[in-house]
Amino acid sequence: MLGLRCIVGDLCGGGRLLRRLPHVQQKWRCESVQLYGLPPAPRLPRQTQVCFLSQGQNPTGSRAKMKLRTRLLVTLLFGGGLLAVWWFVHREKQQKLHRQRIEQLQKVAVGQGDFSLLDHTGRRRTKRDFLGSWVLLYFGFTHCPDICPDELDKLSAVVLALDQDASLPPVQPLFITVDPERDNVAALARYVKDFHPRLIGLTGTPEEVKHAGRDYRVYANPGPKDEDGDYIVDHTILIYLVSPDGLFLDYYNRMKTQEQITESIRNHMKTYVRL
Amino acid sequence: MAAPNSAERKACWDARDQLWKCLDDSDDKAASCQNFQREFEAKCPAQWVKYFTKRRDFLKYKEKLQTEGFTPAEGPRQPS
Repeated sequence: MLGLRCIVGDLCGGGRLLRRLPHVQQKWRCESVQLYGLPPAPRLPRQTQVCFLSQGQNPTGSRAKMKLRTRLLVTLLFGGGLLAVWWFVHREKQQKLHRQRIEQLQKVAVGQGDFSLLDHTGRRRTKRDFLGSWVLLYFGFTHCPDICPDELDKLSAVVLALDQDASLPPVQPLFITVDPERDNVAALARYVKDFHPRLIGLTGTPEEVKHAGRDYRVYANPGPKDEDGDYIVDHTILIYLVSPDGLFLDYYNRMKTQEQITESIRNHMKTYVRL
Repeated sequence: MAAPNSAERKACWDARDQLWKCLDDSDDKAASCQNFQREFEAKCPAQWVKYFTKRRDFLKYKEKLQTEGFTPAEGPRQPS
Protein backbone atom coordinates (compact mmCIF):
# COMPACT_ATOMS: atom_id res chain seq x y z
CA MET A 1 0.00 0.00 0.00
CA LEU A 2 2.75 2.37 0.97
CA GLY A 3 4.60 1.35 -2.16
CA LEU A 4 1.66 2.20 -4.32
CA ARG A 5 1.35 5.55 -2.63
CA CYS A 6 4.95 6.29 -3.33
CA ILE A 7 4.67 5.32 -6.96
CA VAL A 8 1.53 7.36 -7.50
CA GLY A 9 2.98 10.27 -5.61
CA ASP A 10 6.12 10.27 -7.71
CA LEU A 11 4.21 9.89 -10.90
CA CYS A 12 1.75 12.60 -10.12
CA GLY A 13 3.80 15.47 -8.98
CA GLY A 14 6.89 14.28 -7.29
CA GLY A 15 8.92 14.06 -10.47
CA ARG A 16 8.64 17.68 -11.35
CA LEU A 17 9.00 18.74 -7.78
CA LEU A 18 12.14 16.68 -7.36
CA ARG A 19 13.73 18.11 -10.43
CA ARG A 20 13.32 21.58 -8.97
CA LEU A 21 15.28 20.63 -5.84
CA PRO A 22 18.89 19.80 -6.80
CA HIS A 23 19.89 17.74 -3.75
CA VAL A 24 16.84 15.56 -4.01
CA GLN A 25 17.40 15.12 -7.71
CA GLN A 26 20.83 13.75 -6.97
CA LYS A 27 19.46 11.41 -4.37
CA TRP A 28 16.76 10.26 -6.74
CA ARG A 29 19.30 9.40 -9.36
CA CYS A 30 21.51 7.66 -6.93
CA GLU A 31 18.68 5.57 -5.61
CA SER A 32 17.59 4.72 -9.12
CA VAL A 33 21.01 3.37 -9.79
CA GLN A 34 20.80 1.38 -6.63
CA LEU A 35 17.49 -0.01 -7.72
CA TYR A 36 18.72 -1.11 -11.10
CA GLY A 37 21.50 -3.05 -9.46
CA LEU A 38 19.09 -5.10 -7.39
CA PRO A 39 17.88 -8.59 -8.28
CA PRO A 40 14.27 -8.51 -9.60
CA ALA A 41 12.53 -10.42 -6.79
CA PRO A 42 12.83 -8.10 -3.78
CA ARG A 43 12.44 -4.96 -5.83
CA LEU A 44 9.12 -3.85 -4.52
CA PRO A 45 9.83 -3.89 -0.78
CA ARG A 46 13.18 -2.31 -1.44
CA GLN A 47 11.70 0.46 -3.52
CA THR A 48 9.16 1.04 -0.82
CA GLN A 49 11.87 1.53 1.68
CA VAL A 50 13.78 3.85 -0.59
CA CYS A 51 10.78 6.02 -1.15
CA PHE A 52 10.02 6.10 2.49
CA LEU A 53 13.58 7.12 3.24
CA SER A 54 13.69 9.82 0.64
CA GLN A 55 10.52 11.31 2.13
CA GLY A 56 11.84 11.04 5.61
CA GLN A 57 15.09 12.72 4.72
CA ASN A 58 13.23 15.78 3.45
CA PRO A 59 11.51 17.09 6.54
CA THR A 60 10.20 20.33 4.99
CA GLY A 61 6.41 19.75 5.33
CA SER A 62 5.59 21.98 2.37
CA ARG A 63 6.48 19.30 -0.13
CA ALA A 64 4.17 16.74 1.42
CA LYS A 65 1.42 19.33 1.53
CA MET A 66 1.85 20.26 -2.10
CA LYS A 67 1.84 16.66 -3.06
CA LEU A 68 -1.37 16.15 -1.18
CA ARG A 69 -2.88 19.17 -2.86
CA THR A 70 -1.85 18.00 -6.34
CA ARG A 71 -3.16 14.55 -5.66
CA LEU A 72 -6.44 15.94 -4.43
CA LEU A 73 -6.66 18.17 -7.47
CA VAL A 74 -6.00 15.32 -9.84
CA THR A 75 -8.47 13.09 -8.03
CA LEU A 76 -11.10 15.81 -8.15
CA LEU A 77 -10.50 16.52 -11.82
CA PHE A 78 -10.57 12.86 -12.69
CA GLY A 79 -13.63 12.14 -10.55
CA GLY A 80 -15.39 15.23 -11.79
CA GLY A 81 -14.65 14.22 -15.35
CA LEU A 82 -16.08 10.78 -14.74
CA LEU A 83 -19.19 12.27 -13.14
CA ALA A 84 -19.64 14.68 -16.04
CA VAL A 85 -19.39 11.85 -18.53
CA TRP A 86 -21.85 9.77 -16.53
CA TRP A 87 -24.27 12.68 -16.28
CA PHE A 88 -24.04 13.36 -20.00
CA VAL A 89 -24.62 9.73 -20.93
CA HIS A 90 -27.49 9.50 -18.45
CA ARG A 91 -29.16 12.63 -19.87
CA GLU A 92 -28.75 11.43 -23.43
CA LYS A 93 -30.37 8.15 -22.49
CA GLN A 94 -33.28 9.87 -20.73
CA GLN A 95 -33.90 12.08 -23.74
CA LYS A 96 -33.80 9.10 -26.05
CA LEU A 97 -36.31 7.24 -23.87
CA HIS A 98 -38.54 10.28 -23.84
CA ARG A 99 -38.42 10.62 -27.64
CA GLN A 100 -39.25 6.93 -27.97
CA ARG A 101 -42.18 7.39 -25.57
CA ILE A 102 -43.59 10.25 -27.65
CA GLU A 103 -43.17 8.25 -30.85
CA GLN A 104 -45.03 5.38 -29.21
CA LEU A 105 -47.79 7.72 -28.03
CA GLN A 106 -48.20 9.07 -31.55
CA LYS A 107 -48.79 5.54 -32.77
CA VAL A 108 -51.18 4.58 -29.95
CA ALA A 109 -54.65 3.85 -31.26
CA VAL A 110 -56.27 5.96 -28.52
CA GLY A 111 -56.84 9.70 -28.68
CA GLN A 112 -56.10 10.08 -32.38
CA GLY A 113 -58.48 11.94 -34.65
CA ASP A 114 -59.99 15.37 -34.25
CA PHE A 115 -63.47 15.54 -32.75
CA SER A 116 -65.78 18.39 -33.69
CA LEU A 117 -68.68 18.97 -31.29
CA LEU A 118 -70.92 21.69 -29.86
CA ASP A 119 -70.15 22.94 -26.37
CA HIS A 120 -72.82 23.70 -23.74
CA THR A 121 -73.07 27.30 -24.98
CA GLY A 122 -73.73 26.14 -28.54
CA ARG A 123 -70.26 26.97 -29.90
CA ARG A 124 -68.50 24.50 -32.17
CA ARG A 125 -65.31 23.13 -30.61
CA THR A 126 -62.74 20.80 -32.10
CA LYS A 127 -59.93 18.94 -30.43
CA ARG A 128 -57.52 21.38 -32.06
CA ASP A 129 -59.06 24.21 -29.95
CA PHE A 130 -57.67 22.53 -26.84
CA LEU A 131 -54.11 22.11 -28.10
CA GLY A 132 -51.72 23.83 -25.72
CA SER A 133 -53.63 23.00 -22.57
CA TRP A 134 -53.82 19.90 -20.45
CA VAL A 135 -57.18 18.17 -20.82
CA LEU A 136 -59.06 15.77 -18.56
CA LEU A 137 -61.73 14.02 -20.57
CA TYR A 138 -64.73 12.02 -19.39
CA PHE A 139 -67.53 10.40 -21.37
CA GLY A 140 -70.97 10.04 -19.77
CA PHE A 141 -74.61 11.13 -19.92
CA THR A 142 -76.74 13.48 -17.86
CA HIS A 143 -79.36 10.86 -16.88
CA CYS A 144 -76.62 8.75 -15.34
CA PRO A 145 -77.70 7.50 -11.89
CA ASP A 146 -74.49 7.44 -9.88
CA ILE A 147 -71.21 6.68 -11.64
CA CYS A 148 -71.01 9.74 -13.91
CA PRO A 149 -71.81 12.29 -11.19
CA ASP A 150 -69.34 10.53 -8.88
CA GLU A 151 -66.61 10.57 -11.48
CA LEU A 152 -67.31 14.16 -12.49
CA ASP A 153 -67.19 15.20 -8.82
CA LYS A 154 -63.84 13.44 -8.53
CA LEU A 155 -62.60 15.04 -11.74
CA SER A 156 -63.69 18.49 -10.51
CA ALA A 157 -61.91 17.94 -7.19
CA VAL A 158 -58.72 16.93 -9.04
CA VAL A 159 -58.84 20.07 -11.19
CA LEU A 160 -59.45 22.21 -8.07
CA ALA A 161 -56.50 20.57 -6.29
CA LEU A 162 -54.23 21.23 -9.28
CA ASP A 163 -55.53 24.83 -9.48
CA GLN A 164 -54.22 25.37 -5.95
CA ASP A 165 -50.65 24.82 -7.14
CA ALA A 166 -49.67 27.99 -8.97
CA SER A 167 -46.57 26.35 -10.46
CA LEU A 168 -48.72 23.97 -12.53
CA PRO A 169 -50.49 24.86 -15.78
CA PRO A 170 -54.32 24.90 -15.65
CA VAL A 171 -56.23 21.76 -16.67
CA GLN A 172 -59.27 21.93 -18.93
CA PRO A 173 -61.99 19.46 -17.86
CA LEU A 174 -64.21 18.16 -20.70
CA PHE A 175 -67.38 16.09 -20.60
CA ILE A 176 -68.49 14.41 -23.82
CA THR A 177 -71.94 12.88 -23.86
CA VAL A 178 -72.58 9.33 -25.04
CA ASP A 179 -76.32 10.07 -25.21
CA PRO A 180 -76.80 12.69 -27.95
CA GLU A 181 -80.50 11.78 -28.24
CA ARG A 182 -81.31 13.41 -24.88
CA ASP A 183 -78.20 15.48 -24.09
CA ASN A 184 -78.60 18.58 -26.23
CA VAL A 185 -76.85 21.90 -25.62
CA ALA A 186 -79.45 23.03 -23.05
CA ALA A 187 -79.33 19.75 -21.10
CA LEU A 188 -75.53 19.95 -20.94
CA ALA A 189 -75.64 23.60 -19.85
CA ARG A 190 -77.87 22.59 -16.92
CA TYR A 191 -75.68 19.62 -16.09
CA VAL A 192 -72.18 21.16 -16.12
CA LYS A 193 -73.29 23.86 -13.65
CA ASP A 194 -73.13 21.23 -10.88
CA PHE A 195 -69.41 20.62 -11.36
CA HIS A 196 -66.15 22.53 -11.84
CA PRO A 197 -66.78 26.05 -13.22
CA ARG A 198 -64.41 25.41 -16.14
CA LEU A 199 -66.07 22.11 -17.12
CA ILE A 200 -67.13 22.16 -20.77
CA GLY A 201 -69.93 19.86 -21.90
CA LEU A 202 -69.78 18.62 -25.50
CA THR A 203 -72.49 17.13 -27.68
CA GLY A 204 -73.40 16.86 -31.35
CA THR A 205 -75.21 14.70 -33.84
CA PRO A 206 -75.22 10.96 -33.07
CA GLU A 207 -72.59 10.57 -35.80
CA GLU A 208 -70.27 13.25 -34.37
CA VAL A 209 -70.60 11.87 -30.85
CA LYS A 210 -69.96 8.34 -32.03
CA HIS A 211 -66.89 9.53 -33.89
CA ALA A 212 -65.47 11.28 -30.80
CA GLY A 213 -66.10 8.16 -28.73
CA ARG A 214 -64.42 5.96 -31.29
CA ASP A 215 -61.25 8.09 -31.09
CA TYR A 216 -60.94 7.10 -27.43
CA ARG A 217 -62.16 3.53 -27.85
CA VAL A 218 -65.23 4.34 -25.78
CA TYR A 219 -67.95 1.72 -25.62
CA ALA A 220 -71.51 3.03 -25.20
CA ASN A 221 -74.74 1.08 -25.45
CA PRO A 222 -78.20 2.46 -24.57
CA GLY A 223 -80.30 0.04 -22.54
CA PRO A 224 -84.01 -0.74 -23.13
CA LYS A 225 -86.46 2.14 -22.75
CA ASP A 226 -89.08 1.98 -20.02
CA GLU A 227 -92.65 3.32 -20.22
CA ASP A 228 -91.41 6.92 -19.59
CA GLY A 229 -88.97 6.57 -22.49
CA ASP A 230 -86.17 6.68 -19.92
CA TYR A 231 -83.10 4.52 -20.35
CA ILE A 232 -79.62 4.00 -18.97
CA VAL A 233 -76.54 4.01 -21.19
CA ASP A 234 -73.91 1.46 -20.37
CA HIS A 235 -70.53 3.00 -21.23
CA THR A 236 -66.79 3.17 -20.63
CA ILE A 237 -66.12 5.09 -17.42
CA LEU A 238 -62.48 6.09 -17.78
CA ILE A 239 -60.99 9.54 -17.25
CA TYR A 240 -58.45 10.37 -19.96
CA LEU A 241 -55.46 12.67 -19.58
CA VAL A 242 -54.50 14.46 -22.81
CA SER A 243 -51.22 16.38 -23.11
CA PRO A 244 -50.94 19.91 -24.56
CA ASP A 245 -49.85 18.24 -27.83
CA GLY A 246 -53.22 16.51 -28.00
CA LEU A 247 -51.68 13.10 -27.26
CA PHE A 248 -53.35 10.58 -24.99
CA LEU A 249 -51.03 10.28 -21.97
CA ASP A 250 -52.80 8.31 -19.26
CA TYR A 251 -56.19 7.09 -18.04
CA TYR A 252 -57.77 6.62 -14.63
CA ASN A 253 -60.41 4.08 -13.75
CA ARG A 254 -63.02 4.19 -11.01
CA MET A 255 -60.69 2.58 -8.46
CA LYS A 256 -58.28 5.54 -8.59
CA THR A 257 -58.81 8.07 -5.81
CA GLN A 258 -58.79 11.82 -6.23
CA GLU A 259 -55.35 11.98 -4.57
CA GLN A 260 -53.86 9.31 -6.83
CA ILE A 261 -55.10 11.04 -9.97
CA THR A 262 -53.85 14.45 -8.79
CA GLU A 263 -50.42 13.02 -8.01
CA SER A 264 -50.22 11.23 -11.34
CA ILE A 265 -51.11 14.36 -13.33
CA ARG A 266 -48.65 16.43 -11.30
CA ASN A 267 -45.90 13.96 -12.23
CA HIS A 268 -46.91 13.99 -15.89
CA MET A 269 -46.72 17.79 -15.88
CA LYS A 270 -43.30 17.80 -14.24
CA THR A 271 -41.76 15.33 -16.68
CA TYR A 272 -43.47 16.83 -19.69
CA VAL A 273 -41.26 18.11 -22.51
CA ARG A 274 -42.88 20.02 -25.35
CA LEU A 275 -42.66 18.38 -28.76
CA MET B 1 -87.73 14.47 -19.65
CA ALA B 2 -84.93 16.50 -18.06
CA ALA B 3 -82.24 14.77 -16.08
CA PRO B 4 -82.32 15.25 -12.29
CA ASN B 5 -80.24 18.18 -11.11
CA SER B 6 -77.70 18.12 -8.33
CA ALA B 7 -80.27 18.60 -5.51
CA GLU B 8 -82.62 15.97 -6.95
CA ARG B 9 -79.76 13.50 -7.33
CA LYS B 10 -78.75 14.04 -3.74
CA ALA B 11 -82.34 13.57 -2.51
CA CYS B 12 -82.58 10.32 -4.50
CA TRP B 13 -79.26 9.00 -3.18
CA ASP B 14 -80.21 9.85 0.41
CA ALA B 15 -83.55 8.01 0.04
CA ARG B 16 -81.69 5.05 -1.50
CA ASP B 17 -79.15 4.95 1.34
CA GLN B 18 -81.91 5.03 3.97
CA LEU B 19 -83.78 2.19 2.27
CA TRP B 20 -80.61 0.11 1.94
CA LYS B 21 -79.74 0.70 5.59
CA CYS B 22 -83.24 -0.39 6.61
CA LEU B 23 -83.00 -3.52 4.44
CA ASP B 24 -79.55 -4.32 5.89
CA ASP B 25 -80.84 -3.90 9.45
CA SER B 26 -84.01 -5.96 8.92
CA ASP B 27 -82.38 -8.88 7.11
CA ASP B 28 -83.80 -7.85 3.74
CA LYS B 29 -87.46 -8.05 4.83
CA ALA B 30 -89.02 -5.63 2.36
CA ALA B 31 -92.25 -5.51 4.41
CA SER B 32 -90.61 -3.66 7.29
CA CYS B 33 -89.11 -1.00 4.97
CA GLN B 34 -92.17 -0.07 2.94
CA ASN B 35 -92.06 3.59 3.99
CA PHE B 36 -88.47 3.88 2.83
CA GLN B 37 -89.32 2.05 -0.37
CA ARG B 38 -92.12 4.53 -1.12
CA GLU B 39 -89.82 7.46 -0.34
CA PHE B 40 -87.12 5.98 -2.61
CA GLU B 41 -89.53 5.51 -5.50
CA ALA B 42 -90.90 9.04 -5.03
CA LYS B 43 -87.50 10.70 -5.04
CA CYS B 44 -85.79 8.74 -7.85
CA PRO B 45 -86.74 8.36 -11.53
CA ALA B 46 -88.26 4.92 -12.25
CA GLN B 47 -85.25 3.91 -14.33
CA TRP B 48 -82.90 4.71 -11.44
CA VAL B 49 -85.06 2.70 -9.03
CA LYS B 50 -84.61 -0.34 -11.29
CA TYR B 51 -80.91 0.38 -11.66
CA PHE B 52 -80.24 0.81 -7.93
CA THR B 53 -82.25 -2.31 -7.05
CA LYS B 54 -80.11 -4.36 -9.44
CA ARG B 55 -77.02 -2.58 -8.16
CA ARG B 56 -77.79 -3.59 -4.56
CA ASP B 57 -78.17 -7.23 -5.61
CA PHE B 58 -74.84 -7.01 -7.38
CA LEU B 59 -73.09 -5.38 -4.43
CA LYS B 60 -74.49 -8.01 -2.04
CA TYR B 61 -73.38 -10.79 -4.37
CA LYS B 62 -69.94 -9.21 -4.64
CA GLU B 63 -69.66 -8.97 -0.86
CA LYS B 64 -70.68 -12.61 -0.51
CA LEU B 65 -68.03 -13.65 -3.01
CA GLN B 66 -65.40 -11.63 -1.17
CA THR B 67 -66.25 -12.96 2.29
CA GLU B 68 -67.31 -16.54 1.56
CA GLY B 69 -65.50 -17.19 -1.67
CA PHE B 70 -66.83 -18.71 -4.85
CA THR B 71 -68.28 -22.21 -4.87
CA PRO B 72 -68.93 -23.43 -8.39
CA ALA B 73 -72.33 -25.01 -8.96
CA GLU B 74 -72.25 -28.73 -9.53
CA GLY B 75 -72.38 -29.18 -13.25
CA PRO B 76 -73.29 -32.31 -15.17
CA ARG B 77 -70.82 -35.06 -14.46
CA GLN B 78 -68.32 -35.82 -17.16
CA PRO B 79 -68.88 -39.29 -18.59
CA SER B 80 -65.90 -41.31 -17.47
